[in-house]
Amino acid sequence: METVKKEKRSLGFLEQLYVGEVVKGLAITGRHFFRNLFIHTAHLFGLMKSRKGAVTVQYPEERRVIPAGYRARHRLVRREDGSPRCVACMLCPTICPAQCIHVRAGESPDPAIEKYPVEFNIVLDRCVMCGLCVEACPVDAIRMDTGIVEMSAYDREEFVNRRDLLLGMNPQTPPLPKTRHG
Amino acid sequence: METRELKINMGPQHPSTHGVLRLVLDVDGERVVKAEPKVGYLHRGIEKLGENGSFQQVITHIDRLDYISAITNEFAYCRTVEKLLGITIPDRSEYIRTIVAEMQRISSHLLWLATHALDIGAMTVFLYTFRERETILDLFEELTGARLNNNYMRIGGVSRDLSSFFIETLYKFCDEFPDRIKEYDILIRENRIWIGRTRGVAVISAEEAINYGLSGPSLRGSGVNWDIRKAEPYGAYDKVDWVVPLGDNGDVYDRYWIRVEEMHQSTNIIRQCLDKLPAGPILVDDPKIVPPSKEKINAEIESLIHHFKLMTEGFKVPEGEVYCATEVPKGELGFYIVSDGSSRPYRMKIRAPSFVNLGAFNRLVSGGFIADVIAVIGTIDIVLGECDR
Amino acid sequence: MNPTFAAIISVVFSVGFCTALIPLIPGIGSYLERKVAADIQQRIGPNRAGFLPFGILQAVADGIKAIQKEDLIPEHADRFLFKAAPYICIIGVFSCFAVIPFSGLFPLAGLNIGVYYILSISSLMAVGIVLAGWASNSKWTLLGGIRSAGQMISYEVPVAMSIVTVAMFAGTLDMAAMTAAQRSGWNIGFWNSNIFVTLSFPVYWIAALAECNRTPFDIPEAESELVAGYFTEYSGLRFSFFAIAEYAEMFVVSALAVVLYFGGFYLPFEGSIPWIRDLSGGWLALVHFAVFLFKVWVLIYLMIWIRWTLPRYRIDQLMDLCWKALIPIAFVNFIGTACWMALLG
Repeated sequence: METVKKEKRSLGFLEQLYVGEVVKGLAITGRHFFRNLFIHTAHLFGLMKSRKGAVTVQYPEERRVIPAGYRARHRLVRREDGSPRCVACMLCPTICPAQCIHVRAGESPDPAIEKYPVEFNIVLDRCVMCGLCVEACPVDAIRMDTGIVEMSAYDREEFVNRRDLLLGMNPQTPPLPKTRHG
Repeated sequence: METRELKINMGPQHPSTHGVLRLVLDVDGERVVKAEPKVGYLHRGIEKLGENGSFQQVITHIDRLDYISAITNEFAYCRTVEKLLGITIPDRSEYIRTIVAEMQRISSHLLWLATHALDIGAMTVFLYTFRERETILDLFEELTGARLNNNYMRIGGVSRDLSSFFIETLYKFCDEFPDRIKEYDILIRENRIWIGRTRGVAVISAEEAINYGLSGPSLRGSGVNWDIRKAEPYGAYDKVDWVVPLGDNGDVYDRYWIRVEEMHQSTNIIRQCLDKLPAGPILVDDPKIVPPSKEKINAEIESLIHHFKLMTEGFKVPEGEVYCATEVPKGELGFYIVSDGSSRPYRMKIRAPSFVNLGAFNRLVSGGFIADVIAVIGTIDIVLGECDR
Repeated sequence: MNPTFAAIISVVFSVGFCTALIPLIPGIGSYLERKVAADIQQRIGPNRAGFLPFGILQAVADGIKAIQKEDLIPEHADRFLFKAAPYICIIGVFSCFAVIPFSGLFPLAGLNIGVYYILSISSLMAVGIVLAGWASNSKWTLLGGIRSAGQMISYEVPVAMSIVTVAMFAGTLDMAAMTAAQRSGWNIGFWNSNIFVTLSFPVYWIAALAECNRTPFDIPEAESELVAGYFTEYSGLRFSFFAIAEYAEMFVVSALAVVLYFGGFYLPFEGSIPWIRDLSGGWLALVHFAVFLFKVWVLIYLMIWIRWTLPRYRIDQLMDLCWKALIPIAFVNFIGTACWMALLG
């Protein structure tokens, strides 16, 4: 196997004095400090807005753009007439590794469709966001494209997402630019 | 006068035990006489969970072993199952797997460097490395749909193809990254205080390292030339040009140096893989394993039935047992899977590098100072999720 | 004016001034620390507290939070010492302000042995820290306390030796007199005239960093090793007293450095700046006050800068550095200056 060995060298006298390396380190941090201080000050006067001094995203006001394929909170897709597209085939509760989806099927009022979900619960605090349900769904009824990543609640009961809530959610808007690097 | 050692409990609530490791230290003043790691605080029974899910469901659990490098875990698991199935996956997916695994190695090493440096007191490095790690995680987010627990690989390939945007950004990252490493190097690598804290600390000889079963950078730090990517090449590792960094003293500094060098090598590997990336499918053409595409499901009833079969039952894996080792950032991650011919593993044993490396903890620490305990926790690069499973 | 009345006014002013500094210095210091750290690390730092921009009220918010918090005392702690320790630290540090010559109107107490006074009274800080470590009845704090005892006592030697070197050259221990002696030129009258005095500045500065428990010498509190060192068990106001004492200590050692090496409150070439000569007493004092504070804060900035750059020493290396490097150098400086003065002076 080809390898690369660590260069063996003992410290020279100057290096043993600490000073050189410490100054180099201070130069790096100092460069960042003065550069960012300068940029932040320029921002105050409305200049150089294109250059960022900090990599921070100021979360509640400023939000990252979530890329198109991101597995965010689930939603159920509707048909054109507004009824759920889901046919209660039970594939998603079967494939779910966290067993967080509960579906109860009922006979659909529409004679062309056999079943529909009377109940469709996703227990979000058990969900591991793996996306297998989306992959498993044969009719493309469940999607994870809402772009909602904030999932917190005061009560466990609130984590149980019921059918109508899931049906009421929309895909992330506006249609996304590719990612925030673009 | 009779004296006895002071027993102190480091962790599970302690700033630098990387999660939930508990160390019972016997100290004589500042000297550590004995250190006993207590593990199990993060035990979730992943091995057992593996027996209850179909082979493809298990991937989601595997993600949560070493949660800071999920993709390499998936890589290791998928390789094992593929070995048991006796299939070879398409070239393109081999390359993609190699690329994402090396990206994951970089991000894992970045997190390691961040926490290691933070523990030793260099706080600024922590935020600089996170800056770069963010780029990688953003790319993962775009490619796999998640930042940490990616669930990206499938048995027989990968789930999504690389976009042109992904490739472009990754090229750009590969160009910039070596300069960024230089920045960390100036801050710590050549710093006398850093050298003082790491050189000659927790020395372990090559022979001892092998006897303790160390693997990964912890083993190579002692000068043992063992990297599974070279020894038993998989993925696209034998098709690209790279070298294995080796230390010679077996101390904290050498292990640090190796990981930093590995980041350079990973950048190299990624760039070459991107150059050579072949065209073709990303999943193996085997309808027994890979479910049909969504278009096919909509078009024909046979595919729909087939899809149902695969999703409800999973695919059958021939009876037999297999061990397959993969080089993950922490060392050798091995899966030992026994199949009874059904669609679920009969038994899945995980050889977690963090757990095995932690076995040498007492040997590495005793005789050192309390401050060295922190350096050693950093240097063996443990993740408790993997250690406790 | 009635002399008794003047004395009372002077005492009230002095005490009021020092009391005002107690919240001010750590407030500004911690804000500066956070913002500098943020800029170094490509972050933004505090920017939300209060209604003022840039999170200026962050320190106030911290203070209010600390006051509101429950004052926890561990069950088997030595209650009296546990409660007293933070006050001892605070007293030790803030007593030093009495002799610092902020401007021509200062020092508050005209001691002719000001430097000596600072050296001795600031050692109280070590006592407070050791007490805190011992009284908490926790193994982590005990280790922190022991570490700090070793460290602060060791590092007092090079600090004292460096100061003595300068004092010998200056021929006085009075801080006001020392300042006055550096009035001309670049205000560095002491250390550009004698190589040994020059060398004593880095020795003083490194040892002073250790005295303040600042990185790379923050071993007593080494958060990644000892949780939080000697103040692990403290909460609320008592906890913040330690932080206050730390920032005040930074201020004191920086102020001492300014007096010893950077010409105190004088501007460089002050004698040749016309508008300064025309200033009346009160305005001149104000200008001097500003100059002094500026110099001190530059040095504190340097401390912060160092903190966010360097890793931490280990306890044995720390002692090595002190006993094998700093103390010999300080001693050579001391002897060298003595010989220099005997032969050339």
